[in-house]
Amino acid sequence: MKNIAKRRIVFLIATVIGLIMFISCESFVDIEIPNSQLTAENVFKDRATAQAALVNNYMKMQSNVLVTGNFNGISNLLGNYADELNYYGIDGQREEAFYKNVVLPTNSTISEIWNNTYNLIYASNAIIEGVTVSTGILPNEKGQLIGEALFLRAYLHFYLVNLFGNIPYVTTTDFRLNSTIVKKAPAELYSLIIEDLENAKLLMPDEYPSDERVRPNKSVAKALLARVNLYTENWGAAEAEANSIINNTSLYEWVDDIDKVFLKDSPGTIWQLIPQFSGNNTFEAQSFIFLTGPPPVSGLNNSLIESFEPEDLRRDHWVGTVSDGLDRWYFANKYKENNNTGSSREYSILFRLEEIYLIRAEARTHLGNISGAQEDLNKIRHRAGLSDTPAVTQPELLQAILKERQVELFTELGHRWFDLKRFGVINEVLQTRKTGWNSTDVLWPLPQSELLLNQNLLPQNPGY
Amino acid sequence: MKNYSLSKGIRAMAYSFILGVSLLSSSISANNILDYSTVQQQPSKITGTITDGVGPLPGVTIAVKGKSLTAISDYNGEYLIAANPSDVLVFSFMGFKTVEIRISLQKIVNVELKEDATALQEVKINAGYYSVKESERTGSIARITADDIEKQPVTNVLATMQGRMAGVNITQTTGVPGGGFEIQIRGQNSIRTDGNAPLYIIDGVPYSTQNLGNDIISGSILPAPGISPLNSINPSDIESIEILKDADATSIYGSRGANGVVLLTTKKGKLGKTAFSINTYSGTAKVTRTLDLMNTAQYLSMREKAFANDGIIQYPSWAYDVNGTWDKNRYTDWQKELIGGTAYTRSIDAAISGGNNTTQFIIRASNFNQTTVFPGDFAYGKTALHFNINHISDNDKFNVSLSGNYSADKNNILGTDLTLEASQLAPNAPALYDDKGELNWENSTWKNPLRLLESKYLAKTNTLVAGSTIGYNIAPSLEFKTTLGYTNTHLDESKTVPSTIYNPAYGLDSSISSFYTNKSGQQSWNVEPQLSWHESFGFGTIKTLAGATIQESASESLGLNASGFSSNSLITNSAAAANVQVLNNTNGLYRYSAIFGRINYSLNDKYFLNITGRRDGSSRFGPDNRFANFGAVGAAWLFARENLITEKYSCISFGKLRGSYGSTGSDQIGDYQFMNTYISSGGSYQGIVGLEPARLYNPDFSWETNKKLEMALELGLLKDRIFITTAHYRNKSSNQLVGIPLPGTTGFPSIQSNLNATVENTGWEFELRTVNFQKKEFRWSTSLNFSVAKNKLLAFPNLAGSTYASQYVIGEPLDIHLVYHFTGINPETGIYQFEDYNDDGTLTPLEDRQRKVSTNPDYFGGLNNSLSYKNWQLDFLFQFVKQLGFNYNGSGVVPGAGNNQPVSNLNSWQPGQTNGVQLYTAGFNDEAVNAYYSYYSYSDAAFSDASFIRLKNLSLSYTLPQSWLNVASCRLYLQGQNLFTITRFNGADPENQSFGKLPPLRVMTMGIQLNF
Repeated sequence: MKNIAKRRIVFLIATVIGLIMFISCESFVDIEIPNSQLTAENVFKDRATAQAALVNNYMKMQSNVLVTGNFNGISNLLGNYADELNYYGIDGQREEAFYKNVVLPTNSTISEIWNNTYNLIYASNAIIEGVTVSTGILPNEKGQLIGEALFLRAYLHFYLVNLFGNIPYVTTTDFRLNSTIVKKAPAELYSLIIEDLENAKLLMPDEYPSDERVRPNKSVAKALLARVNLYTENWGAAEAEANSIINNTSLYEWVDDIDKVFLKDSPGTIWQLIPQFSGNNTFEAQSFIFLTGPPPVSGLNNSLIESFEPEDLRRDHWVGTVSDGLDRWYFANKYKENNNTGSSREYSILFRLEEIYLIRAEARTHLGNISGAQEDLNKIRHRAGLSDTPAVTQPELLQAILKERQVELFTELGHRWFDLKRFGVINEVLQTRKTGWNSTDVLWPLPQSELLLNQNLLPQNPGY
Repeated sequence: MKNYSLSKGIRAMAYSFILGVSLLSSSISANNILDYSTVQQQPSKITGTITDGVGPLPGVTIAVKGKSLTAISDYNGEYLIAANPSDVLVFSFMGFKTVEIRISLQKIVNVELKEDATALQEVKINAGYYSVKESERTGSIARITADDIEKQPVTNVLATMQGRMAGVNITQTTGVPGGGFEIQIRGQNSIRTDGNAPLYIIDGVPYSTQNLGNDIISGSILPAPGISPLNSINPSDIESIEILKDADATSIYGSRGANGVVLLTTKKGKLGKTAFSINTYSGTAKVTRTLDLMNTAQYLSMREKAFANDGIIQYPSWAYDVNGTWDKNRYTDWQKELIGGTAYTRSIDAAISGGNNTTQFIIRASNFNQTTVFPGDFAYGKTALHFNINHISDNDKFNVSLSGNYSADKNNILGTDLTLEASQLAPNAPALYDDKGELNWENSTWKNPLRLLESKYLAKTNTLVAGSTIGYNIAPSLEFKTTLGYTNTHLDESKTVPSTIYNPAYGLDSSISSFYTNKSGQQSWNVEPQLSWHESFGFGTIKTLAGATIQESASESLGLNASGFSSNSLITNSAAAANVQVLNNTNGLYRYSAIFGRINYSLNDKYFLNITGRRDGSSRFGPDNRFANFGAVGAAWLFARENLITEKYSCISFGKLRGSYGSTGSDQIGDYQFMNTYISSGGSYQGIVGLEPARLYNPDFSWETNKKLEMALELGLLKDRIFITTAHYRNKSSNQLVGIPLPGTTGFPSIQSNLNATVENTGWEFELRTVNFQKKEFRWSTSLNFSVAKNKLLAFPNLAGSTYASQYVIGEPLDIHLVYHFTGINPETGIYQFEDYNDDGTLTPLEDRQRKVSTNPDYFGGLNNSLSYKNWQLDFLFQFVKQLGFNYNGSGVVPGAGNNQPVSNLNSWQPGQTNGVQLYTAGFNDEAVNAYYSYYSYSDAAFSDASFIRLKNLSLSYTLPQSWLNVASCRLYLQGQNLFTITRFNGADPENQSFGKLPPLRVMTMGIQLNF
């Protein structure tokens, strides 16, 4: 009797174990995707999620990457690197190496900018690839999404080539190709940028895809094309693109009041980035403004202050002054709100009409249209309370445009730095203003970690 | 909210428990009749006293042979048991020879037990799924017990093992309470630095040591590996820790065994009268070592020279330290000011245990509290409850046990470690506070380090680990049992970043103040049914085991960033924030299943063969790669039991030759890595929450495998008074699962993949245990462990063309650093010079970083001495490590820069000089700055001897004579940890080798332990 019971128990247990093993081997280790993740396929099945992937790039640019107004963005870094900002900190902050023009290949800010920018380029390429094969998004919606992604790819590469010189142009998400990718020379890079922008122009709508001009439309692609053509000295094309924006008066209006240029609903704004939180304003204001001197990090360089003509309104309206009775310090005060204001008053502007006028003025000068150039330049000067430009010859005008760009676009996205390079005056200007200036400082070093991982990126930029 | 009250509840419960036990002590001492055996009704009572020849021996088990009746001797060595005249009493006690006495007509049986050195070989070792007699084990298992653990005033279980186990290298990464330790068992197997954690099992329940914290919140105070979940395990609740090292021991854990297995066994209820114990200590702690930095005069002379060298006569407006803005006569020792404080420690634990033949229990409660060495009012606290119940049915067939550990941790500290600022602030930097007692910003000329105290970090962890085993003996040789386990960890951490941490010059108000919180949890359960069978035959004894595992672990986390407060006093209330952003809201599921088995064959107690195997499935791999098999074979030969030895070499009391070979694996790669997914980026744009690609994905990666070979010799001489173990191992890891580093142009830093590379770890482990003196009043024993571990990259196809080309060299260790070779200072220019290996006139990283430096320790170990004289007991442990380490030269401070520097930097270059530090620069000398940052920091000059000998632990205790306290035993003790360090290291502490992380602390405590 007892024996039989025993056998039964053994049999039972064996069955239970067998069952568990069966379950465990078959399906137990199959798991569902967690609700915090979405497969790439599903993201591009639907316009709303594809859009969420797209605008994430703008969010990152606003808060953290490359063109951000934060301390790690080029407005601050190139301001220190060129002759716009003076560094006052003592304890080895990020800006010190930039101000002293001793940025090394191992500098962490450099590799952060490089990696984060290529991460956004990856995200843009993923959108282009995902939306292209998507079956759930309608064809007309596809155009706008792909157009924006193409534009973004061109926009990010534009800054990289100007900062680093020869760089790779990444157009796929395939890491096998991208990990051994080779560098291209600026001429080739610009033609790829132009190609992407021309394609983007075809796909992007005339109207803004959303409120408040915080996502690019066709005019933004044109604005970048105007700038690229200016940088590559295709004066005719630069003027044509500029014309097309300036003539689009239904969208863009000249702002006569100097105090309204940087407000979020300024009609002269072509593209701006909205802060994440309602009521927040720009990181530019947080980074640049200080109330007591000496400045905690950087203040405006005296050479910039001295560049303003005596009656220039921008000297008072766009520059803040702090004094302790003995010394005076200055800060960029274009964006005035550094705290939360309940509802936001200012967004970070990436393209504004004034730059387009200055592009056209420069292009016209090179094309020999002196009066047209003067007209554009005077438009800028008049609002600043200045009289007509005295420049008449081509060299005089170019000189006047360079100076006007300095006082109009200061501490905005490294315009000054790129202008000094474009005009070929960088050595003569910075040699006298910066201790430790070397002519090879015109290019930032490629991040050392990058060269170690992909030898096709060799050689390092000269001087490093 | 629910969790908060739960943690509060547990704390209140623990306090009242401790209080209760303390109060009870008075009544119990007054009434010493708590002897459980009096409850039993038996024919006649036998009493007596048990001694060890010196004094009374408490805790001896007295059993009536053939019956299930037992008793335990009390603290006077006295016992009481009921037995018939025909019965035989068996007196047994660990470490002593068992004695049997027939009662006849005696009523009083006094016994003297003799110490039995070889008894150590009889100890049952926990091997996880089974236990094995020390003498018969075929695998490599290291062990420490509560005896060692209780001598150390530490909070992390890993700290208790430091220096005590061969082949186990543990380093403390920070002295901040709640911070982590790194452990490597027999070297680095995986190229992936985070893939080398062992498997932790607490009473049969797998315990995840994954850091649940959010690096954004904890990163600046608790650096990687972050918050250590092992802090939730109370060391004083641990009875023993076993570390399984070789294939024979770990293969049964299959895919989780590659990096070794740490088995934690908690204290169990003991048979005998109800016993109470209270143990409490308090003490102080300070950092072990700091840098020897310049004073103001030395510093200013360096700075003045630096500007002179750069050709700058008029000091820049921002050079506040030298241009007269700051008082040049001021001196502050910032290390003393910021990390030089004294941390206070106190701990109390109380326990009740007892039980009869069928049921035993233990309940323990403990509370620990430690302040920090930083300024400000910060503290780390831990409260834990532990219990265990065992029951066996009257017929010995059915048994059940249940254990639980619950702990509530509260880490209330500052948000940022001050160590870096302490070592870099100029010695004449301004005062911390102004006349009004407010933070002094000295007109924006400096960043007051105490601003960092405004930002606070708070972490609350609640952890429950519960395990149960239910067993049934189907037949005398056949047992079925099921192990059930459940763990639940909940972490609630937060960090405040109020506007007051910023310089008031920015004019920022509380509308930019920000509050970060992260709530994360992890729950896991496992079920392991097992069937074991053993039988002895003429040809030997066979023991078998078969079982299955299913395990599931789910985790979730929610991170929030609230910002924009109307007042900084509302900062910890997210509801008062203008904006709340979800940083992360993730959840994950891990499932794991396996079947496993063991066959053990032994012949004549001399020859042993052990075969183990496991088939594993893991949800971390793509559908085609889910399953893998692992197995091992081990054998042992107890040659000292051969007649030849016993007859001719009787000095050899024990001798064993053992060996094993087998495979284990690893699936430590995180969940869902094979899927191509998007996650929420946490940020939003125009109200649309952004989605971003989670990773570069690879659907095809599979198991990492680790093949282990071991040979060992164990030898006991002179009745085991000298005991030597020598082991040699060779582990080969292949099919390495790694995040292959990728250039930034791919958009991501790495991709998960199997690398066709083989890594070999070989080593020798040597353990020596000697009993130097064994007299009645004086005993002295010594134990030494010594490990030599070598690591080597054996094969790596196409290394030169891979992204690892600049990182690894075939034939060299994984932790090799390819660096420039520093050749001294240029006697003319005063700038550091390096070898140009390819003679092309420039230094390029790929071609000229040819010097190989390995930071793998050459050897490490510990030497422990244990002395007792009458009632005094002294133990001290020296830990030693021979290694190269990352020294101050890589700290990122250029000689001459506006940061304080070690006095050794005073030896700066003079024309013609080639040693010392290069010419000072204030940062304007490109060539000098570049030589420092680009080359010197990446040269062999940044590595130097980081070997050390450290008095890791000292414990002195005195047990009050029995005559003083009749009923209770009372022990007074002094304990110390990290008491002193002998090292030539050029830096702060040679153990954590860091300039920004707090060095480990030197702890000194005194305490009292009462048992009654």
